Amino acid sequence: MAEPIIMPRQGQSVESCIITEWHKKKGEQIKKGDILFAYETDKASFEEESEHEGILLDIFFDDGDEVPVLTNVGVIGKEGESTDEYKPDKGAGTQDSASKDKELDETTPMEKESEEESAPYQQPDQETVRINDGKISPRAKRLANDKGLDYAQISGSGPEGRIIERDILHALDTTPKITAKAKKAMQEEEYSAPSEGSGLGGNITYSDLSASNNVYAEDHEVMPLSNIRKRIAKAMHASLQNSAQLTHHMSADARNILRLRKIAKKKSEEGYAYNITLNDMVCYAVIRALLKHPEANVHLIGDSMRQFKKIHLGLAVDTERGLMVPAIKNADDLSLTGLSSQLKAVVEACRKGNIDPDLLSGEAATFTVSNLGNYGVEMFTPVLNLPQAGILGVNTIIQRPAPLNDGSFGFVPYMGLSLTYDHRALDGGPATKLLAAIKTEIENFDITTLD
Amino acid sequence: MPKAQFIDPASARKKQTLSFDSIPVNIYDKSIEDEKANFSNDDLTRIYKDMVVIREFETMLNMIKTTNEYHGIAYNHPGPAHLSIGQEASAVGMAYNLDINDYIFGSHRSHGEILAKGLSAIHKLDDDALYKIMKEFFDGKILSIVEKNHKGDVKTLAIKFLLYGTLAEIFARDTGFNRGLGGSMHAFFTPFGIYPNNAIVGGSADISVGAALYKKVNNKPGVVVCNIGDASLGCGPVWEAMAFANMDQYHQLWEGAQKGGLPVIINIMNNMYGMGGQTCGETMGYDIAARVGAAMNRENMHAERIDGYNPLAVIDAYKRKIEVLNNNKGPVLLDTLTYRYSGHSPSDSSSYRTKEEIEAWQNVDSIITYGNDLVKANVLGKNDLEAIRKETVNDLTDMLKLAINDEISPRMDLVQNPELIGDMMFSNESVDSMEPGREPEVAIPMEENPRVKQIERKERYAFDKEGKPFSGMKQYQLRDGLFEAIFDRFYKDPTLIAYGEENRDWGGAFAVYRGLTEALPYHRLFNSPISEAAIAGTAIGYAICGGRVIPEIMYCDFLGRSGDEVFNQLPKWQSMSGNLIKMPVVMRVSVGSKYGAQHSQDWSSLVAHIPGIKVIFPATPYDAKGLMNAALQGTDPVICFESQRIYGIGEEFREGGVPKEYYEIPLGEPDVKREGNDITLLSIGATLYRVREAADILQEKYGMSAEIIDARTLVPFNYEPVIESIKKTGRIILASDACERGSYLKDLAQNITEMAFDELDAPPVVVGSRNWITPAYELENYFFPQASWIIDAIHEKIVPLKDHRVSNNFTNAQKIIRSRKGV
Repeated sequence: MAEPIIMPRQGQSVESCIITEWHKKKGEQIKKGDILFAYETDKASFEEESEHEGILLDIFFDDGDEVPVLTNVGVIGKEGESTDEYKPDKGAGTQDSASKDKELDETTPMEKESEEESAPYQQPDQETVRINDGKISPRAKRLANDKGLDYAQISGSGPEGRIIERDILHALDTTPKITAKAKKAMQEEEYSAPSEGSGLGGNITYSDLSASNNVYAEDHEVMPLSNIRKRIAKAMHASLQNSAQLTHHMSADARNILRLRKIAKKKSEEGYAYNITLNDMVCYAVIRALLKHPEANVHLIGDSMRQFKKIHLGLAVDTERGLMVPAIKNADDLSLTGLSSQLKAVVEACRKGNIDPDLLSGEAATFTVSNLGNYGVEMFTPVLNLPQAGILGVNTIIQRPAPLNDGSFGFVPYMGLSLTYDHRALDGGPATKLLAAIKTEIENFDITTLD
Repeated sequence: MPKAQFIDPASARKKQTLSFDSIPVNIYDKSIEDEKANFSNDDLTRIYKDMVVIREFETMLNMIKTTNEYHGIAYNHPGPAHLSIGQEASAVGMAYNLDINDYIFGSHRSHGEILAKGLSAIHKLDDDALYKIMKEFFDGKILSIVEKNHKGDVKTLAIKFLLYGTLAEIFARDTGFNRGLGGSMHAFFTPFGIYPNNAIVGGSADISVGAALYKKVNNKPGVVVCNIGDASLGCGPVWEAMAFANMDQYHQLWEGAQKGGLPVIINIMNNMYGMGGQTCGETMGYDIAARVGAAMNRENMHAERIDGYNPLAVIDAYKRKIEVLNNNKGPVLLDTLTYRYSGHSPSDSSSYRTKEEIEAWQNVDSIITYGNDLVKANVLGKNDLEAIRKETVNDLTDMLKLAINDEISPRMDLVQNPELIGDMMFSNESVDSMEPGREPEVAIPMEENPRVKQIERKERYAFDKEGKPFSGMKQYQLRDGLFEAIFDRFYKDPTLIAYGEENRDWGGAFAVYRGLTEALPYHRLFNSPISEAAIAGTAIGYAICGGRVIPEIMYCDFLGRSGDEVFNQLPKWQSMSGNLIKMPVVMRVSVGSKYGAQHSQDWSSLVAHIPGIKVIFPATPYDAKGLMNAALQGTDPVICFESQRIYGIGEEFREGGVPKEYYEIPLGEPDVKREGNDITLLSIGATLYRVREAADILQEKYGMSAEIIDARTLVPFNYEPVIESIKKTGRIILASDACERGSYLKDLAQNITEMAFDELDAPPVVVGSRNWITPAYELENYFFPQASWIIDAIHEKIVPLKDHRVSNNFTNAQKIIRSRKGV
């Protein structure tokens, strides 16, 4: 019986071998152990010995042919035996690649189809768009800035809702185009554009910007801050940043001091040396009240409190240069007239600009009065002059219905008092007591102090 | 596996007993009177003088280290000083017979050996040659310093040159022998045959064997002495070096001038201590180190213990052993008995030994004993001994003054030249042949090579005119690209050799070298023992001496076995030598797959981390040939990673295929393999093909066009093409087969973030292998990055893809959970 000669498998990874040379010819007599042919893999060369005896009846592959392993390459047998049944299907070796090619052909149109279908991948998928919480990729951000696009209103389609480049591109596609001049103006001024422009194809032009944003046209000039403005800005900001301030409001019956003011005015017109003002009287009342409630006459510094034995009264003064708060040292030692003249003197000095700067620091006074009564302010929340713990805002006098002494109701003038205090230094109770004390002092102002 | 050698079961299984020849111990027994016939009085005096120089040099350093002063000169030396006070006779005896063609390698405790070898060379060189060496070294920089105010002859000038160059090197001066970049433990001076000392215990063993290999393979005169300490006999690479030095093939398979043993003496400078561990009695079991020779070959490596406290005994032994080497009967093992009085270093209080022991050795001090013997033998008078010491002190004091003078001996100016050391990390030369003019030894003409003929029949581009791929067997493969480059270089550079496991006959485990066996004599291509440390270490020694070499580590996973060689030796010697040494070593490392946890790891990141090695990882036949050509043309160490997954891949990217002609691809240039607009995919190694798969999916399913960049090289690396690509795409995925944690991709990603932050539409995302063991082949798809991982990573981290469903979890939460578990 004829025996096939098989291309051996040389290792797991070898799929085919090349026959380098047949050592025997068709029809030749073969002995066991004869070298039939030489072949090679990627890695090595081999020789195939015959395991059978007989005649080499057929050879299916020539020198140089690549043969899949375990394929019949020839047949050994007796003269006249048929070899047809051993003939390998020569296509078999290439079948794999042929079917692969077929697959390729089949997938080609699909590729095209899917390309068309998914081409707009650049557009964010609405389902995946999430509300943006400020995340934006550097690239998207730069693109937005370049195009003058306000990305705050855009939803992000990236991971975790991040705005990514495609979101900006999408936004640019769906919002009107902006002319170069408008873009430049927007970049410099950081304005957002109107949703529709008046230019060609809805382009936003520079005129659209100024029309829709006339507030932002050239309506201002930039001026550097003066030193005093800088200092005020810093002190005010620091005050609000670094303390726990709040304001209580109360009103004092002003009938008494208005009467006294009339007297004082009259006396002054008659040649009396002093013209005692309402502000002088309020300041005097504040000092009297503080003497009874020294817990508000303090500086709070870090973890310690500075309790003052004397009262240094600060007065907020409006000047051309800005707000100044000079201090009257040892104000509790002064009579009403003494206080009045000192207050006049510091106000004068502030307005002239020759005030002793030492008196202007927050440290110089222990409590401040800020009087906006003249300006008609009905209520405000003065800002503490740190490290002081209290400031009294004095408001305008308004007529309010109130019970009169005779039991009937009438209109009574009331002066609004707004006490801002630092809750770190002072609790609401003592603060209220101080405010009430000031009110009492004002309401019961003694005429004899006028002397 | 040479077919010529038949392993006969009958003789292999025969009953027999092994017996060993005896190993001589301290057999020298001559007096000075006996030796007067062999030595002139001058010779005997010189031996004494050289020992005194070493003693005084080391004493000086000891005083500087411990008292910050030497003879009234104040100096603080914060660096190391491992002194050899007590070991002078063994150093001088060793060097006595050696000339400049004989190379010594040393250890951290080798000041004595440097000086002894230098003094011996100075004595043997004639004045003209000596002056020429000094004049040409660093353009005469050191010479001009010591020549100023010098009175006397060239030899005394040369001694000053030697003392100053060594001292300035120890003190890290720009005027030192190695520009201060080697220091105490690495100082050397090759023009005198003084080769690198090594701060790693036993580090010189395989390097020395490589140097001897260089001499044998290239027919160079001289022998190599490897000075390592007794404690190094506990180091694996030392045993590997001895195994490599003792291969039977030198005698049985190598032919012609190369037949016979390696000319190397493994000299154990046996001072009985390894730091504080006592090698005899505590940390080792060989009793007498010479015994080790019996394990290595039939001749016991001609091992002998010699009395290193008698310079004449050492000289006698070397004379005999050099003859053994000259008769091609090497290698030799010497056990030079010695003792150090000084501690391991000046901070060592010698708590591990008794005062009595130190005193007992001081009582037989080699310098005192030998000096007295000279006086007794009327060679010198007592006053002469003292005069020699004084003269030495004077010379040393002068040289110390010069070496610590910041104006004369400045340190490297890294303020003026901040890149000075950076520019010394690589030599970056382009050299056809390391020995121009010599014809390479080959067996057959190139065109007759069976592999060349086979490749001729192959298709150099993977696809035919219709774009159909040729069958795998017909395609010119990546392994063919490597072969062509290496084969070509073997016919250009006579010094080029290649070796590793199964390199000959088998043609390498992955058939890259198939066809080389036919082309090359044994000594240019041979099988090594399975000793990765020795494979790497000998290659380093071979290159240090001036040869080009391709060692192969069969699997990347075995790189750990050559850890010291690859991490400490290969990358460092070019710069540590002050750029005097070149390191043309192209180490081929194959990266496996299919074979589990210890045969499938991509460790390219580990070597990329070490400054001083270039790292390439070609993934196409075109790149393989071009990069290998460039690596072999260079003078720097290059590690070439080759993925087993793609040895058989054809050229699928470069239309026109792989050129038949020689061409180089410059190291460091990433290559855009496919252009695209929407995302950049940067890959290292075989992952290129997974990345390409991902790019196809992106195109087909999501209409995204991906730009594929193949890094090709890890070190050096030009970021510009990558940044250019990101400018276009705004997005990048980096992928390779290395485990993700700490991989080189992370480094690339971090740098890309820095350099292209404003271009990025999402953070660069790294897709690496899981931080696991590599599982079995059938589970590999869960370990190595797959195309689907890349798609998932894009969807989760970069840009959500329409209707995409992930199969892998790339979320931050999952990352945190895994990281907390350490995986």
